[in-house]
Amino acid sequence: MNVLHPESILVPTDARQAPCLIGSRCDKCATVVFPQMPVCPACLANGAMRRIEIGRTAKLFSHTIARFAPKGFKAPFFQIFVDLPEGPRIFSLVGAECPIEPGVLEDGMDMRLVLEPLADTPENKDVLTYKYVPAGKSGRAGHA
Amino acid sequence: MREVAIIGVGAHATGQFTDKPLKDLGYTAIWDALEDAGVKPGDIDAAYVGNSIGGLLTGQEGVRGQVVLQHSGITGIPIVNVENACASAATALRGAWLEVASGAADVALAVGVEKMFVGDSARTIGALSSVSELDLSQMGMQFTTSYAIHPKINLKARMQEYGWTIADFAKPAAKNSFNGSLNPLAQHRRPLSIEQVVQSRIVVDPLTLYMCASISDGAAAAVVCSADLAKKFTSKTPIRIASCVLRSGVYRLPNDDRLDTAATTAQAAYEAAGVGPEDLQAVELHDAMAPAELMLYERLGLCGPGEGPKLIDDGVTTLQGRVPVNPSGGLCSRGHPVGATGLLQVAELVWQMRGEAGERQIEKRPKVTMAQNQGGLLLGQDSAVYSCTILKT
Repeated sequence: MNVLHPESILVPTDARQAPCLIGSRCDKCATVVFPQMPVCPACLANGAMRRIEIGRTAKLFSHTIARFAPKGFKAPFFQIFVDLPEGPRIFSLVGAECPIEPGVLEDGMDMRLVLEPLADTPENKDVLTYKYVPAGKSGRAGHA
Repeated sequence: MREVAIIGVGAHATGQFTDKPLKDLGYTAIWDALEDAGVKPGDIDAAYVGNSIGGLLTGQEGVRGQVVLQHSGITGIPIVNVENACASAATALRGAWLEVASGAADVALAVGVEKMFVGDSARTIGALSSVSELDLSQMGMQFTTSYAIHPKINLKARMQEYGWTIADFAKPAAKNSFNGSLNPLAQHRRPLSIEQVVQSRIVVDPLTLYMCASISDGAAAAVVCSADLAKKFTSKTPIRIASCVLRSGVYRLPNDDRLDTAATTAQAAYEAAGVGPEDLQAVELHDAMAPAELMLYERLGLCGPGEGPKLIDDGVTTLQGRVPVNPSGGLCSRGHPVGATGLLQVAELVWQMRGEAGERQIEKRPKVTMAQNQGGLLLGQDSAVYSCTILKT
């Protein structure tokens, strides 16, 4: 399966490992960004950004259900922003194990990273990406 | 810098024009503007053509400006293609303004043109998403959802913070639908009640269908010239470009407490024009989703935090109010052919300032007006492009 942004995702080679995202951390001011950048957007230091593993868990910042979809996606589907404990606030989708119903997600709730196909469509069923699901759900983090 | 005046504007109606390619949409707007200005193709020294998604949707990936202008008899001169998402047309106007202000050209043309109806709305939505940074669009991020959940708008948080309701979100759409009902160029001409807007189907909670700008074809154009040459071409009132400010989004980390970029762009435009928000007598602003109008009232300095719905309740921004906002019908009613919108806004203001706006004419002809246009979305959590243009007579 192709990985959508291979530079941004650590895909485990061992089933006991949890997947994570790869961002950058600034040596000068400790700002963490995702995806990786060569120049720190906060202090503008060049060459001070180091690769860092992030995003195994997150807190839900905001969410909605999109009732229509661009090509390659299926509506309805959740679209969310999550806050990573390392700092970044990022856009993401919600893993398939989570039912698409109002009330299922609540802003502020704990989430965990999963890797799975971008969408269940001919265009994207073989494209692996990162999504988040409520942390309370059963099942270990892993990739499909 | 020389003083620059708009001496002619033109527009193609917005809506679905299945049989018309980009260059035919453009032709109508371009020649309406030329005839309005009293200039001939040979008078134009330079042209900027704004278009956002015509490459993806029509297959004409390059030189769309030259293709569109050749069809209208404008060839040989410098022609610059402008892609700046939903602010492409405002950016084209800035290019034309700079050509004349710098003295490089005496007369310049700005065009915005967009063809969005291609018989496959999922393809159009996909193309629209692609004017955001690829990392976002590839994940399925859409503009509509971004209004609902994006940290800088986050409508649900506004509901908690300000006590805004779905009915409040519907108010700009209802107000603007009335304006649009009086505009023969508008895409949607049915006046809607707040109730009808609220009751229309949910697109992305909390946004309903009538709160969202729809897919649209359209075009607009403006002829600008050195203010001292205006009389040579036309006896109509020249409309001075008092300021034309373009900004780009800044990278925002969570808890960024810097002023919103729409606000800093407006401040720069006020300062350059020597006016303040209290001087504006009409505004066309970027209400791609109706609730954005409430947020923009604050960011343009028209009201304090959370006071947007009250501004409409009090009639301040209606067609009869102190500062009518979106007299054309705005993006939701007049229409939002993305790469044309910035110049559709400017054309409307020019008509209002000249007293040529027909049934929707603001009774006291506005003398100071603003067009606010923005577009795209970056990973750094800002829009990609912000523009504010202040016009004066």
